[in-house]
Amino acid sequence: MRSSIPQTAIVIGSGIVGAAIAYFLTRRGIRVQLLEASAPAAEATGAADGAVSVASKRPGPMMVAAIAGVALYRELEHEGLFAGLFKSRSTFIVATSDEECAVLEAHADALEQAGVRIERLTGGALFEVLPALSPSTRLAVQVHGEGHAIGYQIVHRLLTAAGIVVDRHTPVNALLRDANGRALGVETHKGQIKADVVVIAAGTGSATLLGLADILIPRKGQLLVTERAPRLNAAFAGSIMSGRYLMSKGNRKPGAPTPARGLGLVIDPLVTGQFLIGGTREDHGDRRTNDIGAVSQILADAVALVPQLVHVRLLRSFAGNRTAVLDGLPLIGRVPGLDNAFVATGFEGDGICLGPIVGRTVAELVCGEAPSIDLVPFDPARFKSGMVAA
Amino acid sequence: MSVNRFIWQGREISFRPGESIAAALEAAGIVRLGLDALGRETRYFCGIGACQSCLVRVDGTACEACLTPARSGMTVTPLEDRS
Amino acid sequence: MSEPDIIIVGAGPGGLAAAIAASRTGLKVEVIEQRHAPGGAIYRQPVDGVEPVPQAAAAKRRWQSLSTRFAESGVPVRTHSVFLGIDGDGTFLIDDRDRGKLDRLQPRGVIIATGAVEKVYPRPGWHLAGVSTVGGLQVMMKETGRAPQGRILLAGGGPLLIAVAAQMARLGNPPVAIVEAGDPAKELAAGLQILISPGLFAEAFSYLRTVYRHGVPWLRGHRLVSIKREGQDLAAVIEDRKGSRRRILADRIGLHDGIRPNDFGMPPETTVNRAAPFVIHAGDCREALGAVAAEADGERAGRMMAGLLAHGRHEINELEELVARNRRSQAVLARIFAPVQSGSLLDGLTDETILCRCEGRTVGDLRQLCSRPDPLTGREIKHNGRFAMGACQGRFCAANTAALMARLRPDIPAPAPGDLIGRRWPARPVSIGTLVGVPPHAEGQDEVLR
Repeated sequence: MRSSIPQTAIVIGSGIVGAAIAYFLTRRGIRVQLLEASAPAAEATGAADGAVSVASKRPGPMMVAAIAGVALYRELEHEGLFAGLFKSRSTFIVATSDEECAVLEAHADALEQAGVRIERLTGGALFEVLPALSPSTRLAVQVHGEGHAIGYQIVHRLLTAAGIVVDRHTPVNALLRDANGRALGVETHKGQIKADVVVIAAGTGSATLLGLADILIPRKGQLLVTERAPRLNAAFAGSIMSGRYLMSKGNRKPGAPTPARGLGLVIDPLVTGQFLIGGTREDHGDRRTNDIGAVSQILADAVALVPQLVHVRLLRSFAGNRTAVLDGLPLIGRVPGLDNAFVATGFEGDGICLGPIVGRTVAELVCGEAPSIDLVPFDPARFKSGMVAA
Repeated sequence: MSVNRFIWQGREISFRPGESIAAALEAAGIVRLGLDALGRETRYFCGIGACQSCLVRVDGTACEACLTPARSGMTVTPLEDRS
Repeated sequence: MSEPDIIIVGAGPGGLAAAIAASRTGLKVEVIEQRHAPGGAIYRQPVDGVEPVPQAAAAKRRWQSLSTRFAESGVPVRTHSVFLGIDGDGTFLIDDRDRGKLDRLQPRGVIIATGAVEKVYPRPGWHLAGVSTVGGLQVMMKETGRAPQGRILLAGGGPLLIAVAAQMARLGNPPVAIVEAGDPAKELAAGLQILISPGLFAEAFSYLRTVYRHGVPWLRGHRLVSIKREGQDLAAVIEDRKGSRRRILADRIGLHDGIRPNDFGMPPETTVNRAAPFVIHAGDCREALGAVAAEADGERAGRMMAGLLAHGRHEINELEELVARNRRSQAVLARIFAPVQSGSLLDGLTDETILCRCEGRTVGDLRQLCSRPDPLTGREIKHNGRFAMGACQGRFCAANTAALMARLRPDIPAPAPGDLIGRRWPARPVSIGTLVGVPPHAEGQDEVLR
C-alpha cells in the first residue's frame, strides 16, 4: 500500500458514490476535481427509491456493507451533515400467503443472526402498528433502525459541504497512463487533466473507461410518487415492503431463469406526506420511460397491501437505469494494473444506502489506509480479463 | 336531500345541472375552499384544471373543483380537514 | 366501436378545426375534452338554461361557424376526459372522469391542442384565496352567466383585462379598477397598426366603450406589487409610473400577465416514422396567438396529420400566412400593451414571496440556491428547491423560476421551463383508484376499505 497521501484527485461521476468519494477526499485536504458527463445525480441517483435499508439483504457481504451503510447515515445525521435529510424509520416486510410467510420467517431468522433488530407482528398487534394494511396481511417483520434519504438531496448536501464546484457536461474520453502502471489523469474534450489519483464512479459510463461493457449492465427501474396524503402517511410507521420482494431479490431457486421484469413492491412514506412507490427491475431495453403496464401493476400490488391508496392521486412516474454487475456484487477497489486508479460502481439498487460508506472507504483506500468495510468480495480484479482492454 | 344540492362542510349547496363544484361554491359566496397539506389556502384560480389550487375532496378523493361537475347528494370536503 | 386513427386533445378552436380537417380524409377521428362540452376556454359554453355572456359579434360568428362545421363532421367528443400522456409503449392514456376509469387507446396520430395558460408573475400575496387569474374569472362567467360578486380588481397587462371588465359590466358588476402595466393610449403609432386587423380593432373598441361608459378607472402604466389580507378584504398595493403607491381594497383580485402555450408535460412533436404515434401540436399550445390563429393552425395540423398517415409526409400549406398575420397582430398588441415601467416585477420581490404555490417554495429559496459558486442546472434547482415538483407540475411556476434564475445567474445558460418540468406522464395527477380499476367514486367501496 502507498503510504503518502495524494495532493490531487480526479473523481469521475457525481452520482451519490462519486459525490461521497469527493466529499471524503476533500475532508482529508485532497484537492478534488469532480468531472461529470451531464449534471450531478442525473442518472441512477436521481431515479432511486432512497431506501437506506438492510431489510431485504441476504446474509453475506452486501448485508454487512448495508449494516455499515445505515450506521454511517445515522452518524452523519448526528454530526449534522445529513441533518434533515435522513428519515429514520422501520421497514416492515409483509407476507400475505403461506409461501411468503415461509420465506419471510427464514429471512427474519437470517437478519436476527446478523445482529439486526427485528420484531415479528401478527394478529391484532400487526394492525395496531400498521392500521392501513389490508386485512389479508398475515405477518409483518419490523426491521428497526432503518431509514430513507433522497439521493439527489444527499449529493447536493455533500457537494455543498465540501465546497466543490462540479465540472458539468465534461465527459471523460479516456484514462491517461504511463508505461509503469500509473494513471496520469484523464482526457476530456476540454483537454487533458492530470492528478495524483483517479477515481471512477461513473455508473454505466465506467464500462467504456474500463473495458467492462459485458460486465456492467444497465438495469431499469420504474418508480412512482403520489401527491401529499398527510393523514394516510401518518398511519405508516415505516415503509411497507412486500414479502414477494425477497423472492424477486434472489431467494429464487438457483438456476431458475431471471424474469425480464421483476417487481418488488415498496411503499415508502416520505417526510413531505407523499408516498414513493416502486418498483421494477428490468433487463430489457434501456429506455427511460414508464409504461402503463408496469405502473398499473405496481399500483395494483400497492392497493392490495394498502387499500386506502385508491383515494390518493399519482403525481409522477419516473424511470432510471441503475448499473448492475454480472455477479450481483459492486466493483469497489483498485483498478487492476493501475496503482493509483480506483473504481466504485455497480451498486444497482443499493447506491443510496451504500454511497456514503463507499465514499469513506474509497477515501481510506486512496490514502493507503485499511478500509473500514471488507472490500475483498467487491475487488474489481475478479473481472481482470475485462480490465486488460482498458 | 333535495335534488341539485350537495353537502359542503355540513351545508347544503345548490347548483344548476352541469355546473362545476367551483361555480356552485362561488355562487354560495364561498371563496376559501380550505387548506392544503402545507396549510396554504386552496382557492379557485385558473379555471382550466391546470393550477391544482382548487382541489377539494369528493367522497374522499382529491379533484379540481373547477373541472368536476356538481352532482346531487355528493359530499364535498376541503382538501385537508384540520379541524 | 373501432379505435380512432387520430385523437385530438382539447376541443377549443385549434382542436375542433384539426378534427374537421383530419376527418375530411375519411380517417377515424376522435376529440377528447376535459369539460362537459366543446368550446375551450375562449368559447366556454354556459350550463343548460343559462344566457351566454355578452361577447363581440365577430367572436360569436366564429364560434357559430366552427361549431356548425364540427357538428357536420360527425367527429365524436369524449367529454370529462383528461389526457394523461402517451406511455413508453406508445399507448394513449385517458382519465375518464365520468366512469372513474382509465382508457388506453392506440391511435396512429395525436394532435395536442390544449390551448394557452395564463402567465401570472409572482407577487407577495398572489397565492391567497380570492386571487385568481383574469381568465379564470372570465371562464367562470361564461359557464355560469354571472359576474363575480363583490369588489373586483383586475390587474396585470393586456387586452384581456378590458374584455373581462366589459363583460363584467354588462352582467351588472363592473370591476373597481383595471390596473394596466402598459399605456395603450400613448402608443398611438402602434395603435394605428392594429387597423391591419379590423376584427380585433372593432372588438377592442366595443369593450373599451363599455368600460368607459361604466366609469371603470383604467389605471395605465400602473402595476400591482403586492396583496395582503386585511380582515375580510384583500388590500392591493398599486404603484404608478413614478413609483408612488396607493392601496385598493377588493373582495376578489384577478391577475393576468399574458398567455403562453399550455404545453407543459405534453409529448413533444414527432413526425418521423416509429412505433409510437405521430404527435403534432396545434393552436395556442404551439404558439399562443389567440382564437383566430388557433383555428387556422388547427386546420394546418389536421391536414398535416392526415397527410402523414396517408403517405408518410405532409404538404406545405397556405394556412401559414393566416397564422403569420395573427402573429403580426399579436406583436402589435404586445407593443401597445408593453409595460411602461422599466425593470421586471421579478426583480423587486421580497424573499418571502411564494414562487411555487404547490410546494410553498419562495423567491428566497431560489436566491439561496443560486447564490452558490457551483452553477446548478434547471433539473438540480428543481430537485433541491422542489420548484415545479408539486401538483400543478410547474404550470404556474416553471417559467417564473426559469426567468428568475436567468436574472440571478446571468453567467450560466438559462434553463428552459421544460428543463424544470420534464415530460413524464401523467400530465395531470390521476387517482390511483382509476389506474387500478377501482373507480374512486364507486358505490360500496367502503366495504373494500375496512
